Amino acid sequence: MNRRVLIGIFDNEDAILDVTDAARRRGLKIVDVFAPYAVHGLDRAMGLQRSKLPWVCFLLGLTGAAFKVWFEYWTTASDWPINVGGKPWNSLPAFVPITFEVMVLFAGISTVLAFFGMSRLWPGRKPMLLDARVTNDRFALVLEEDNAAFDVEEVERFLRDHHALRVEEREQEAAR
Amino acid sequence: METQYWRSLAERENPSELARAAEAEFSENPLQQIEPGSSRRGFLKAAGFAFAGAALTGCSRAPVEKAMPYLVQPENTVAGRAQYYASTCGACPAGCGLLAKVRDGRPIKLEGNPDQAISGGATCAVGQASILGLYDSLRLKQPLAGGKPSTWAEVDREILARLRADGAVRYLSGTITSPTKQAAIDRFLGQFRNARHVMYDALSASAILDAHQQTHGARVLPHYRFDKAGAIASFDADFLGTWISPVEFARDYSARRRPPEMSWHAQFEGRMSLTGSKADRRVRTAPDEIRERLAQLAIRIAKLSGADDRFLSSASARGWQTTNDDGLPHVAERLWEARGRSLVVCGANAVHTQVLVNYINHLLGNYGATLDVEHPSRQRQGDDRALANLLDEIKTGRVAALFIDGVNPVAELPEAPGFDHVGLVVSFAGSLDESAERAHYVCPDHHFLESWAGAEPVAGLISLTQPVIRPLGATRAVVETLAAWTGQPVNAYDLLRQRYPAQWDRAVEAGYVAMEAPRAPVKPFSMAPVELALAATSPEPAAGYTLALYPSVAMLEGRQAYNPWLHELPDPITKVTWDNYASVSPAAATSLGVSDGDVVRIEAGAAVELPVVVQPGQHDRVIAVALGYGRKASERFANLGPRWIDHRPSVNDQGRVGENAAPLLAFEQGSLRYDRAGIRIAKTGRRIELALTQTHHTLTVPQQLGGEVRPIVQETTTAELGKPPEPSEQREELWPEDHPYKGHRWGMAVDLNACTGCSACVVACQVENNTPVVGKDEVRRRREMHWIRIDRYYSGPSENVEVAHQPMMCQQCDHAPCETVCPTLATVHSDEGLNQQIYNRCVGTRYCANNCPYKTRRFNWFNYPREDRLANLVLNPDVTVRTRGVMEKCTFCVQRIQEAKIEAKVLGTPVKDGDIRTACEQACPAGAIVFGDLNDPNSRVARLARDARQYRVLEDLNVGPAVRYLKIVRDGGQAGRPVPQGDKKNG
Amino acid sequence: MAEVCSPLRIPLIAGHKKAATVTEDVCRPMLRPPSGLWWAGFTLAFSLMLLGVAAVSYQIATGVGTWGLNTTVGWAFDITNFVFWVGIGHAGTLISAILFLFRQKWRTSVNRSAEAMTLFAVMCAGIFPVIHTGRPWLAYWLFPYPNFRGPLWINFRSPLAWDCFAISTYFLISATFWYVGLIPDLATIRDRLAGESARPTLRQRLFAVFSLGWSGSYRVWHHYEVLYLLLAGLATPLVISVHTIVSWDFATAVIPGWHATIFPPYFVAGAIFSGIGMVLTLMIVARKVMNLEDYITLRHVDAMCKLLLLTSSIVALAYGTEFFTAFYSGNPYEQFVFRNRALGPFAWAYWIMVSCNVLAPQLLWFRGVRRRIGIVFALSLLINVGMWFERFVIIVTSLHRDFLPSSWASYRPTIVEVSTLAGSFGLFFTCFLIFCRILPVIAMGEVKAVLHVGQASRPVQETTV
Repeated sequence: MNRRVLIGIFDNEDAILDVTDAARRRGLKIVDVFAPYAVHGLDRAMGLQRSKLPWVCFLLGLTGAAFKVWFEYWTTASDWPINVGGKPWNSLPAFVPITFEVMVLFAGISTVLAFFGMSRLWPGRKPMLLDARVTNDRFALVLEEDNAAFDVEEVERFLRDHHALRVEEREQEAAR
Repeated sequence: METQYWRSLAERENPSELARAAEAEFSENPLQQIEPGSSRRGFLKAAGFAFAGAALTGCSRAPVEKAMPYLVQPENTVAGRAQYYASTCGACPAGCGLLAKVRDGRPIKLEGNPDQAISGGATCAVGQASILGLYDSLRLKQPLAGGKPSTWAEVDREILARLRADGAVRYLSGTITSPTKQAAIDRFLGQFRNARHVMYDALSASAILDAHQQTHGARVLPHYRFDKAGAIASFDADFLGTWISPVEFARDYSARRRPPEMSWHAQFEGRMSLTGSKADRRVRTAPDEIRERLAQLAIRIAKLSGADDRFLSSASARGWQTTNDDGLPHVAERLWEARGRSLVVCGANAVHTQVLVNYINHLLGNYGATLDVEHPSRQRQGDDRALANLLDEIKTGRVAALFIDGVNPVAELPEAPGFDHVGLVVSFAGSLDESAERAHYVCPDHHFLESWAGAEPVAGLISLTQPVIRPLGATRAVVETLAAWTGQPVNAYDLLRQRYPAQWDRAVEAGYVAMEAPRAPVKPFSMAPVELALAATSPEPAAGYTLALYPSVAMLEGRQAYNPWLHELPDPITKVTWDNYASVSPAAATSLGVSDGDVVRIEAGAAVELPVVVQPGQHDRVIAVALGYGRKASERFANLGPRWIDHRPSVNDQGRVGENAAPLLAFEQGSLRYDRAGIRIAKTGRRIELALTQTHHTLTVPQQLGGEVRPIVQETTTAELGKPPEPSEQREELWPEDHPYKGHRWGMAVDLNACTGCSACVVACQVENNTPVVGKDEVRRRREMHWIRIDRYYSGPSENVEVAHQPMMCQQCDHAPCETVCPTLATVHSDEGLNQQIYNRCVGTRYCANNCPYKTRRFNWFNYPREDRLANLVLNPDVTVRTRGVMEKCTFCVQRIQEAKIEAKVLGTPVKDGDIRTACEQACPAGAIVFGDLNDPNSRVARLARDARQYRVLEDLNVGPAVRYLKIVRDGGQAGRPVPQGDKKNG
Repeated sequence: MAEVCSPLRIPLIAGHKKAATVTEDVCRPMLRPPSGLWWAGFTLAFSLMLLGVAAVSYQIATGVGTWGLNTTVGWAFDITNFVFWVGIGHAGTLISAILFLFRQKWRTSVNRSAEAMTLFAVMCAGIFPVIHTGRPWLAYWLFPYPNFRGPLWINFRSPLAWDCFAISTYFLISATFWYVGLIPDLATIRDRLAGESARPTLRQRLFAVFSLGWSGSYRVWHHYEVLYLLLAGLATPLVISVHTIVSWDFATAVIPGWHATIFPPYFVAGAIFSGIGMVLTLMIVARKVMNLEDYITLRHVDAMCKLLLLTSSIVALAYGTEFFTAFYSGNPYEQFVFRNRALGPFAWAYWIMVSCNVLAPQLLWFRGVRRRIGIVFALSLLINVGMWFERFVIIVTSLHRDFLPSSWASYRPTIVEVSTLAGSFGLFFTCFLIFCRILPVIAMGEVKAVLHVGQASRPVQETTV
């Protein structure tokens, strides 16, 4: 089912911050904001909750470490113990370095993959661009006309008050 | 025709093809086929393959190879099981008994025959290496006539045709200890009216025999009994290294050097010899001072003996007054104390000198005790006078036919005899040496491992040689050749058999037989020659440089020049390989303005140019040069070693290894003189980079870097020995004892006091473990591959230097540092305490070698060439031949351990102490190396591990080496005995 | 925000840039054909690389014997180069990750190329452990992979095994970090190229593919920021662990001069020191060649000089400590090694090291020096030389005279070794020059975020539609 969205284009960081904040306080439904770079505080302005990525990182890091410790123990002390320089079968201290490396490897790679998944990025995906310059120097605020009560003119005026360079209305299939 | 070995019928049908197949099959890495840099193409190929091709070959498998099992197994032959045949070493006239190890029909190793008196189970480096001569691809495979290959029938016919009964026939040979052969020669010469057999030794002891002719009325070489000698004074006789019968002497000598009962040994010599390096008291004496010193000694001992004032009076009449220098009084005193069991020997080949020696031994009552003239040695019989006459005859063209047997006069004598005036020259040389190539006919003799022969090194001891392989070429034993020319062809076996019919079987089995020998006709000691000798000796000190020509431990007189193992064997003292050189004392070096590697020109009649080696402990007036180098046989090494852009050849500009110093020899009063006074020596300005295996010669680190002495070699004194050993403190172990050694725990003990540094072990190890020869250039780069090396350290002032020899091999550490760092588990520990190296798992990171405190690991930097397929027959099938890029090291001869364990298992008996003897232990004449099970409290090694002299190198690293060393015992420290100067403790 | 985030008071980016101009400035050099200067550099670097390829092929085909090593000195150029290059790499991570965590905004102009440098340096480093083995075609045995030999795994107690994991992990993480940082810029360029031509060119397609359909959505930016922080958080201990492990190659050995607990911090500091040196070298060249003076300002140079001074002092302290420990240990072997370093046959190498790493950087105490590009450039080169010699000294002087005087030996490199070293530099610069041509050398996304930092006023608002 399609929905109508109202888009305001802005040309600087402060404008987009104000307008987003104001829009949220006005109770307007913010679909998304598009920016050429990470504008600090915008997440607060949009009212996004904290990302789950740290958990992915932590858990998979732990998994990697655990696996490696077990693997090293199994290979050197249990599966085929070999006397190497009279060191004990289970030379745990010597296993630490590799365990650490593997932990970092697991954590890092898995987090990145998780990120690609969460934000639906993959090679060859068609970007949906509101403005050719949105990856250059433009900012865009996308508001959903969620109900009949949504007054397009009024919101447009509201956007212009907040130095919108341009405001346009669009049909857009509900992607998310 | 050359004997063809074939592995399968297919190969016999079409050998060339299979050879090619085999080539391809055994190469693990296709890159090896490419001769890099040889051509642009090859190089590009290499470049292309380098990464990709390399990766692939990791997974290549060699195709299955068809082998032919015995259909009917020959009696008492088990495939893959070694058999040992008693034989006798033919490398020198000493005649050591051997056991030849034969695997599947090929002799692969020579070991001493424990029962035979001369060897006593030991061998020398040369003996160990001589097996390679059997597989020498340049040996003659058929007789030559005028340099062209011929057949025996033809050669026999032509030679007989050219022999005339009235012409002067001369048979020139080295010492012949074989009665059988002697008889054959006599029978052959018997056919001619004017025939003579002339024997000479390139390393002549002629003067000793002549001296006994004068003093004892019989031209004999006494059989020296070092095992009975409590005090020894040696004047320039290197009896532990090269003199007459070194294996026997070294064994007997070290038998008397076992603390606390130690014989005492003084050495008077100009150069630093192996023997000098072991002496308790070493007095630097130039060769031209020897006789004067002996006279002095004779006078002192005559005084002590109180007898014979006739001699003393004539001495004082000639203005001899005893001087109190050079410890002569001390030596005289020690000898006199030990009279009847003391021994004075002298290496100088001068009759007067030897007469004085005889006199001293006579005064000390050593005849019949430490010198046996009634059952004399036959190991040197050469007669320099006869040789001189023969050379004169040859020069003046009075010789019709000359037969050359076992010697190489052209290369060994001061001036090469010209054969132009000799009607017929026949050589029996096995390969085309300098003399053989000038002979009209060459009738090649067998290698000693191919022939039946008997030897009598010492009167009454017949040592038998039995063939251990069919002759590889169409050669013929000299006795058979001579018999053929005498008209009654007979083979060597029958000749020998006829001679000793009685105990034949057990004699052949044992390798020797003791017979009642007639006692030599010696007369009572006659004084007259002594007077003459004294008269001919002047008390005035000599001046100017003197040249001392000596046989090197590896090359002897030079008949070993074909042998790469011996060329690569570091000289026990100087650690130089692949060269001979002029060694000079540090003082002389300064005055000549030369240092190691500077080429000097030495003139004494002839001239040679040699690099200098500065030798501590050498007499300042002495220049010492080794004989036996610069031989034709060494031309084969032109292409030895890995070939790559920066490769330098192993031979010199003349295409040979070293320079031949024989032209510097001279005849004086009818004997071959090895020392020349008043020579000229000058710097040429050229430099040669010597190939040394050790470049820092002391345990003292350089002064500006601290100058401390490292306790690697530890010493004690006869005095200290009595004291109880201080208890060694126990260390806390960081790790739990996870790895107890329940069964065996292999270990080794090395007695540094016994070790003479003779290096027999080094060659023995090389033969046993298929260690490659790398060539001069690689040695220069410090990449020699020997698994056991002998570190040599000097201590004390350079004029009175003390020497320590330390065999160093993998220490098989319990906490081996090499194992922990190997990423691929290519070196790990066995449950019997062995540090194992798994070649095919090794990728060659060299981390283990870096982390080895003893630096005993060896890396295959290249594929060291093994192109000579005949020489490859000497390879030990029980030991893997290592490929390029892998690490290798001493394994404690693990193949021998396994063999013994299997044997014991089959018999159901435990492995007894001594069942397993590593190659180095087996070869050692001094019995310095002992291998065994440390878990068996009664094993020899376990007992030595509890010895008071026991210590471990770098023990404080706590790597737990399994090799124990026993401290050197230096004489001195006792009351009334002077402590020799330079008796510096390294502990 | 500027106040809380940036310790710097004067502009990070000179010349009142606007976001659009940033895009313009950064993309321009990529889109116009390469300059003659670039071609010159590329030709030189590439031919050096070919020389290296030839040397390595010859060595692999013939044997490690073509190097000057011997029984006593089993490692020299090979591992020296390895440690050297790994060290170089570390500065990249330091700048991109550690400075990020410390909110050092000035890093933004240099972090992209610093990270690239890390990647290329680690590539160079990675070659040496492989080719230094006697049988490189079996080098993969250093990794534990399932096999039919038991299965026989590897010796996890060996520092070389640790190395394999450390280096490969380091490479993968750095590469990921770098790529994640690139995505928004790739998108920027993609959109800038759009409409350049009717049919999309290959370059356009590539940018389209690799920008993963980035659209600047803030819901993505939101995760992206966290991800970047996490990666930075992982890379920081990683870089330290990597060089710690490299130092353990020596520290866990029994060889005097290697067996020292001080090695890990000593090596890490040294690594960053050498890395910053290399970054400076590259930056100073890059800003000239690609006229990015406004982005890489004297401020950046100055800041990095201060880092150099710091790390140089740490390294100097380590040198001193080594000698003290040796003296204090009372271990004669240990003491000898250090006397031998300073006075022995390789003293020349030791003093090159000291003068380049300790003496020369002292100049940086002076502001005037830090501001003089020429001098700084010269210093950065000296530091690269000095740090190479540090590794050479540690490896060779410790090995060539260890416990048994009988096995003391010397070492002389062969032409093959020297060519291999040259080749590794060739490879490094070839990669870097190509990178400069095809990817944005400056992280636009990040620079735009800090444009106003320290600026007197916000960029004037444009009112064009």
